[in-house]
Amino acid sequence: MPLITRRSVLTGVAATLAAPAIIRPGWAADTVKIGCLFSSSGTMANLEGRLNYITKMAADEVNASGGLLGRQVEVVVTNPNSDWPTYAQMGRQLLQEQKVAALFGCWTSVSRKSVLPVVEENDGLLFYPLHFEGEENSKNVVYLNSPPASSVLPAVDYLMSGDGVSAKRFFMVGTDYVWPRTINKILKGYWTAKGFTSSSWHEEYVPFGFSNFQSIVNEIRTFTSQTGGQPIVVLTVVGSSIADFLRECINQGVKPTDIPVLGLDMVEADLEGLDTTSLVGNLNCWAYLQNAPGPRNQAFLANWAAYVKSSNAPYNPHVAIDPMVSTYDGVHIWAEAVKKAGSFDVPAVRSAFGGLQFPDPSGYTLSMTSENNYVARGVFIGSVNAQQGFDVLWQSPGTPKPVPYSPYG
Amino acid sequence: MAVAGDAEAGALQPLRLMIRMLKAGAIILVALIGFLAAREQARADEDRSAILGSLCGPGLHAPMQGAGQIMAGLPTASSADLNWAEVVVQAFSLRTLRCAPAGTGYIATPAGMIDAVTLKPAPTAPDDLRSPFPNLRMRVLLDRLTAAIAVLNAPHPEARLAAVSTLAEHSDLIPPGLAEAALKRTQNASVAAALRGLIVLQRLQSPDVSQRVAAIQTLSQDTTSRTENQLESLRADPAYAADPQVAAALDQGIAHVRFWVRAGAVLSLLYNGISAGSVLFMSAIGLSIIFGLMGVINLAQGELLMIGAYVTYTVQQVIRIIAPAYLSLYPIAAIPVVFIVTALLGIVIEWTVIRHLYRRPLMTLLATWGISLLLINLVRVSFGTQNLEFITPPYLTGGVAVVGDFFITWNHLAAIFFAVAAFIGTLALLRLTSIGLFIRGVTQNRDMAGCIGISTRRIDMLAFGLGAGLAGLGGLALSPIYNVNPTMGTEFIIDSFMVVVLGGVGSLIGTAIAALGIGLVNVGIEPFYGAVAAKVIALLLIIVLIQWRPEGLIAARGRR
Repeated sequence: MPLITRRSVLTGVAATLAAPAIIRPGWAADTVKIGCLFSSSGTMANLEGRLNYITKMAADEVNASGGLLGRQVEVVVTNPNSDWPTYAQMGRQLLQEQKVAALFGCWTSVSRKSVLPVVEENDGLLFYPLHFEGEENSKNVVYLNSPPASSVLPAVDYLMSGDGVSAKRFFMVGTDYVWPRTINKILKGYWTAKGFTSSSWHEEYVPFGFSNFQSIVNEIRTFTSQTGGQPIVVLTVVGSSIADFLRECINQGVKPTDIPVLGLDMVEADLEGLDTTSLVGNLNCWAYLQNAPGPRNQAFLANWAAYVKSSNAPYNPHVAIDPMVSTYDGVHIWAEAVKKAGSFDVPAVRSAFGGLQFPDPSGYTLSMTSENNYVARGVFIGSVNAQQGFDVLWQSPGTPKPVPYSPYG
Repeated sequence: MAVAGDAEAGALQPLRLMIRMLKAGAIILVALIGFLAAREQARADEDRSAILGSLCGPGLHAPMQGAGQIMAGLPTASSADLNWAEVVVQAFSLRTLRCAPAGTGYIATPAGMIDAVTLKPAPTAPDDLRSPFPNLRMRVLLDRLTAAIAVLNAPHPEARLAAVSTLAEHSDLIPPGLAEAALKRTQNASVAAALRGLIVLQRLQSPDVSQRVAAIQTLSQDTTSRTENQLESLRADPAYAADPQVAAALDQGIAHVRFWVRAGAVLSLLYNGISAGSVLFMSAIGLSIIFGLMGVINLAQGELLMIGAYVTYTVQQVIRIIAPAYLSLYPIAAIPVVFIVTALLGIVIEWTVIRHLYRRPLMTLLATWGISLLLINLVRVSFGTQNLEFITPPYLTGGVAVVGDFFITWNHLAAIFFAVAAFIGTLALLRLTSIGLFIRGVTQNRDMAGCIGISTRRIDMLAFGLGAGLAGLGGLALSPIYNVNPTMGTEFIIDSFMVVVLGGVGSLIGTAIAALGIGLVNVGIEPFYGAVAAKVIALLLIIVLIQWRPEGLIAARGRR
C-alpha cells in the first residue's frame, strides 16, 4: 500500500483548511469582538455584502483612535446566505460562542424578526441599519434608521403636495413579507385619514427574488391611463427585484413624468448597470444620500474609496448607500456608548445611549434619548439622475423625533 | 459738339439724380433693414432674457412660467428662436443650465461656459452660479416642450413622428397653431399625415358637430385604454354628447377601442407567457441534456448559466477596447465565444469530477453543489458582487405598441427567437447528426452502445459539454433581461429542474412544452390572483401533473 494515498492527502488538506476554524475561538485578552450578520450570497448579497466591509472600516477607525477601554475591536463576519432562519442561528453562535459585545446586521425586516428572539434571550445588542416599518421597540435592538413617520410619510406627503405631483392615486408593488405589508397598511391608513377611499389605490405583491415584471408593468401602464388624478407607484420590492422592475419600466416606456416611482428600498447600488436616463425623476427617501452636502460626507466617501482599494473589496469604490452610513454610524455610536459606560456589558452600554450624539456623514447630528433605542436622523428625498445616482430633491430642516408606533397602522 | 455735349449732359442730369437718389434710397433701406434686424435681434434677446429670468427664478412657479412662455411662443418662433429654445430646454433637463443671482443664465458645455441668451462663449461667467433643479412637475413641462420643439425642428422625420405621438397623448395642452406651424415646416408625407391627425384631434372640443365627430374618429384609431377612458369620460358628459351624431360616434369609438383593448390584453398575456416560457426554456435546455439525457443531477447548472452571462460581459468589454464602433453587435459576437467557453468548462468539470461519479448519483449531487459554490466565489472574487453593467444595444431597448395596451418589448422578443433557434438547433443535432445518434444511444443503453464500438467516454464528455454550452447560451439570452451577478444562477436552478422533470426526463420537446406551459400558467394567473398565488398555483398544478404522469408530459421511449 502506498504511503501517500488519495485519502491521506485529502485528510491532510481538509485538516489544514479546517485549522483556522479550530484556532480562531482562542480568546485574546486585548481584543473585543463585534459580529456582522450580513449575507454575502443569495438575493441580498449585492447590498448586504458591503456592510461587512463598512463595519470593518468603522472598527479600524475606532482602533486607530486608540481602541476601546484599552482593547482593539475585532470584527467577526458571517454569511447567513439570504436565508432568514440562518440569521438567527448565526446570531446565536456569535453571541454564545464568539461572545461578541454587539451585533451589526440584517437588511430585511424578516431577518431582523428572526434574530429578535435570539438577542432578547441572550440579552445581546443588535444594531439594525435599515429604515423599516416600525411597530417594534425592543431594548435589545438599536434602530439606527427611521421608522415610517420620519421617512416614508414625509416622502409620500411631498408627492401629494403641489410641489410634488399632487398625487391622487397609488399603485403599491411590494415583495411579500412584513416590511412592504406593514408599510402599505400604514400608508392606506394615512390615505384614509386624508380622505381617500380604497378605489384610489391598488396593491400587488411578488415573491422574494421575483424577476418577471412584464405583467405588473403592463398593469401599471393601464393604471396610469385611468382617470381620477395623478398616479404614483410606491415600490417596496427588495433585493435584485428592484433593478428588474426598473428595467422593465424602461423597456415598456413607463416614464416618471407620467407615473413617478417612489422606491422605498431603492439605493444607488440598485441603479448600477441600468441606463438611468429614462428613469430620471423617480424618487427614493433615506436618511442619507450619496450627494448629501457637507465636508463630512466628502471625507466619508474618500475614506470608503480608499478602504475599498486597500481591502480589495469587490464593490464600486464610488458608490455609498444609506445602510452603509447607518452601519458606520452604528459602530461609532456603540463605541461612544462603551466609552461613556466604561464597560462592554450590554445593560451598561444600553443605559449610556440616552443623550448620545454623533455627527455623521449625512450632515445631521444624530441623537438618542433614554426613552427608547431609536436614533433621530434627518430625512432626504432623492431624485434619480442620469449618472445612476440620486440628487437631493428635499431635505428636512432638522432631525424629527422617531415615533416607533404609527397611529395609522 | 459742346452744345451737343451740353444737351447730352442736360439729358443725363435727371438720370444721374435718379441714380443718386436710388443709391441713397438703397443705403437708407439697408440701414433700415439693419436697424430693424438689430432691433429684432435686440427684442429677441430681450425676450430671451425675460424667459431666462423666469426659468432662473426662485421657487417652483417662476420656472414653470418660463417654460409656459417658451411653449406659447413656439408656433410663431423663427428657426433661430427654435434652436435657442432647444438648447435651453435641454440644458434645463440635463441640469447644465447655470443661473447667476442677477437672473442672467449660462450653460455649461464641455468646451466651457456659454451665455444662455446669445449662446456665445462667456469666459467671464461668475463663479457663484446655481443650477436649477427640475422637479417632477417641471419635468413634465420640459418633456412636452422637448416634443413640441422636436415637432417643429427635429432633423429626422422619425424624431418628429415620435414627438407627434408624445404630443397626441396630451392634445389638450398644445398651444393653438403649433401643429399647423409644424405642418408648414415638414416635407415628409407621414409626418404631415400624423400632424393632420393631431390637428383633427385638437378639435375634440370644437362646437362644430362634424369636427367633433372627426376628432372622435381620429382618437379612436389609437386603441389604448387611455383612449377608452378619455372617450368614456366624454360620453359621461351630457353637455358634450348632446348631439345624437356625436353620441353615436362616441358609442362606436368606445366599442371599437374596447374590442382592441380586450384583444390587446389577451395578446399581451400570451406574449408575456411565451416570453416567460422561453426564459424558462433557455435556463433548462442545458439541464435537459445533462440531467434529462445523461441522468447527472448537476446542481452547478445555474452557475454555468451565470458563467455564460459573464463571458458575454467579457466579450462586450473586449469589443469596447478593440473595436468600439461595433460595440452594439457584442451579443451576436458573443454567441460562439460563450458556447465554446462554457462547453470547455463543462468538459473540464466532467473530466475532473463527474466521470468518477456516474454510478453514484448522490455524490454527484454533492460534488456539483461544491462546484457551484466554487464557481460563485471565483466570480465573486474576480468580478465583484455588483450587477454587471451591460450596454443594451439599441435594437434590444424599448419596444413597440401594437394594439390596445399590448406592447412588444424587443429584449423579450429576442429571447423568444433565441429560444426557438436553440430548440431547433439542439433538436436537429440530436436527431440528425451521428453525434446526436451516439448521445441518444449511450444514454439509452450505455453498455450496449459500448459493445457496438461507440466510445462512451468521449460521448459523455461531448454531451456534458453540449449541455454546459447550451446553459452558457441561456446566460447570454438572459443577460439583457435579468440582473447579472454571481448568485444569479441559484435563482434558476430549481425552476430548471422543475421544467425538465415536468417535461419528461430525456425529452427535449417535453422540456419545451413544459417551459411554455409553466410560463403561460404563471403569467395567466398573475393578473387575477397576484404573483405569489400564481407561483403557488403553478406548483400545485405541477404536483398534480406529476402524480398523474410520474414520467412527465412526454415519456422517453426505450429502457433506461
